[in-house]
Amino acid sequence: MSNIALEVRDLCAGYGDRQILKNVSFTVSPDDFFAIIGPSGAGKSTLIRCVNRLVEPTGGSVRLNGEEILDIGQRALRLARRNIGMIFQEFNLIERLSVLDNVLAGRLGHTGTTRSLFRMFRREDIAQALTLLDRVGLTDHVHKRADRLSGGQRQRVGIARALMQNPRLLLVDEPTSALDPKIAREVMGLIREVARERRIPVLCNIHDVKLALDFCSHIIGLQDGVKKFEGRPADLNEKAMHDIYALEVL
Amino acid sequence: MTAATLEPSSALDRRIDAIARERRTTRRSRLASLAVALALVLGTVYAIVIKDTDWARLTWQSVATSLARFAEFDTSALPGLVDPAIDTALMATLASFLGLFLALPVAWLGARNITPLGRASYVFGRGLMTLSRSVHEIVWALIFVSAVGLGVLAGILAMAVRSVGFISKVIAEAIEDVQPGPIEAIRAVGGTKFQILWYGIVPQVLPVVLGTVIFEWDINIRRSTIMGLVGAGGLGLVLFREMARSNYGGIATVLAAVLALIIVGEFVSHYARKAII
Amino acid sequence: MHAKPSSDAAVIDDVEVTTLLEDGERAVAGDALAPPRTLRWRKWKRDLVWAGLIGLVVWSIDRLDIPLDRLPGILGRMGETLMTRYFPPDIARITQRDYLGSVFETLEMAYLATVVGIVLAIPLAWFASANMSPSKRILYPLSRLAIMACRSVHEMIWTILAVSILGFGMLPGVLALTLFCVGFAGKLFAEAIEAIDQGPVDAMRATGANPLQTFVYAVLPQVRVAWTGTSIYTWDVVFRAATVVGFFGAGGMGWYLRESMQRIASQEVAAIILSIIIVVLIAELFSSWLRGRIARAIA
Ligand SMILES: Nc1ncnc2c1ncn2[C@@H]1O[C@H](COP(=O)(O)OP(=O)(O)O)[C@@H](O)[C@H]1O
Ligand SMILES: [Mg+2]
Repeated sequence: MSNIALEVRDLCAGYGDRQILKNVSFTVSPDDFFAIIGPSGAGKSTLIRCVNRLVEPTGGSVRLNGEEILDIGQRALRLARRNIGMIFQEFNLIERLSVLDNVLAGRLGHTGTTRSLFRMFRREDIAQALTLLDRVGLTDHVHKRADRLSGGQRQRVGIARALMQNPRLLLVDEPTSALDPKIAREVMGLIREVARERRIPVLCNIHDVKLALDFCSHIIGLQDGVKKFEGRPADLNEKAMHDIYALEVL
Repeated sequence: MTAATLEPSSALDRRIDAIARERRTTRRSRLASLAVALALVLGTVYAIVIKDTDWARLTWQSVATSLARFAEFDTSALPGLVDPAIDTALMATLASFLGLFLALPVAWLGARNITPLGRASYVFGRGLMTLSRSVHEIVWALIFVSAVGLGVLAGILAMAVRSVGFISKVIAEAIEDVQPGPIEAIRAVGGTKFQILWYGIVPQVLPVVLGTVIFEWDINIRRSTIMGLVGAGGLGLVLFREMARSNYGGIATVLAAVLALIIVGEFVSHYARKAII
Repeated sequence: MHAKPSSDAAVIDDVEVTTLLEDGERAVAGDALAPPRTLRWRKWKRDLVWAGLIGLVVWSIDRLDIPLDRLPGILGRMGETLMTRYFPPDIARITQRDYLGSVFETLEMAYLATVVGIVLAIPLAWFASANMSPSKRILYPLSRLAIMACRSVHEMIWTILAVSILGFGMLPGVLALTLFCVGFAGKLFAEAIEAIDQGPVDAMRATGANPLQTFVYAVLPQVRVAWTGTSIYTWDVVFRAATVVGFFGAGGMGWYLRESMQRIASQEVAAIILSIIIVVLIAELFSSWLRGRIARAIA
């Protein structure tokens, strides 16, 4: 296995006529907990959503384990997406389904259409879901409806759902912005642990620089769709911060 | 792949068994209710498609022949339908205005916060709304024919009365939602009851009301096409005349004109509503 | 329909009211806050709109040749006709076996049409929703057109067409009511889909789910309550129409209505109309009760 998990080259993206990302490039190694920081509106979410093409990039290249993602068809894209777990800022759970069904939904890409229509998941999938729910500390909530959980618990369901894919990359979009500071650190810690255990590289958006410094191994700074900084947390000095958050009062 | 790495634990197995059992039960009860619905469908299909239908007379060929009759589309008759189309639009307009006019007192009765006689008048008002909406316009039309005879008036009255239910319901709900601010202000400077209504409530509900009337107008255009049944004019009358003559090409032509009018109406109501908001 | 402050002496000072208003009530405040020139223009425009509307009404009445002289005393005359010709309703007629059978037939038609219509409306609504349609170029416009076409033709015209193609009976009634149902439910279903939260959709897509799986997992749970309510309401509306499709040759109660009318058996007609009103009211009450119950049960 090469030591590049994800390679993004000259990525450009936008909505309508408005260009958001301007030639962003970086590489993520298999062990990385890779953070993208920057003021809100910088294009962090757009960047992360380009990796699994929830947003269609307008140019550049995205390679996951050496395979190009941007020029493949819809069917191949679905197969590629199975290998990319995603954790969302607003959790994006299916509120009316049980916690277990939410986690099992992470397996949809591997489940036949007819089976999934009747929620007939494989025995080993259910076993994995239960094990994952134990791992994220939700053993007692398996049969609850997702909308009955607290924010922190919901994000744990989101984490379990992403892990359910047995992904080779985790995309994480501001996992803690909707959470209290204390819960936020717990959730960040959990994501780092499970990713380490499974050796999954993580690409994570964080608005909160402190969290990025504490949890991440590598940081890029984005401002107005342009990469302004790249380095280790230790390299993120005053000047770099000024570059990234030029217009924002810290 | 992960399944293989899972330790075989009897506790986990038991949990999975419980889940699998529960899911089977849910699936079975779902299937059972689906089966009931399906049985009902099959029962009605039997009653309607097998027992009630005369398959000796109804064949693919007969269907094809009847469809073919509609194909004798007569484009030369289209210009002559412009006048009736205008009549139809005007009928719908009058019916909508009249519906609004009749809806005002009903809304007054049926709005919880301004109803004059408490619960009694509220229930009465709401009852009128339900009655108006529940009776199909065809039935209303037949009822009005007995009062004013065949003709355009019966049709307009039927459409107006049919519109009252929805318009008054929306107005009543808008009145129930009005903000007390302006009403208080008018009361504070000594306004009369009428002034409260006119200056405090009307401006607040006016956009909603106009939007609703336009919405009903759109529907009334559709309705007016069947008011030909009671001799109301416009495209509806032409349609029923062509039907009486079994002139299928003519029917198809009139229907095309109806469709055109409805599309025009859709545009007009779209822009009228935009103009209000 | 706005106030005309300057021309009415009894009126409260507009400005004073305005200062007491909150943000949302610009309907009143707008006039007073605007500069004088705009104000005058607005008043002028408002009068113009009023004059136009009144002119339109007068012109329409003239053009349509509406016999306004028949309006005065209409209630009295209605009462009189009702008393002399339609009263007493021939209750015996509507308790006869064949008529009661037609009530059941009406129920059957409404049920079948609603079930089939909703089964057809679900995929159409999915294809016709701007946010979820699996095929923006082909299926989206086609399904929108289909729903529009079903809606824009009045259900009784569908009935007339169906009868002229399929002959008399319940089958054309069901066909017409089904088309009506597709148009009615399809539009409301599509609107419900367009109102969903996109988050779960993104989440399902991100797992590699295909469009059908995404629909079943991310969309259906979100629209289930709304769709259930809409479906019951649709049944109610379809049933109302089903009571009269018989008038144009399809089956059910309307058939008897027409038959009695043709014999000028007014007391029978009265009884039948009465029975139609009653069953429709029962259906409406049942449907609103059921909707309330289900909404409480699911939510
Ligand atoms: N779906 C969309 N359509 C149009 N503009 C969008 C959309 N999503 C985001 N944007 C715009 O793109 C810019 C970048 O957004 P985003 O990537 O969400 O930034 P961040 O995650 O860094 O806050 C913002 O200005 C936002 O308004
Ligand atoms: Mg963001």
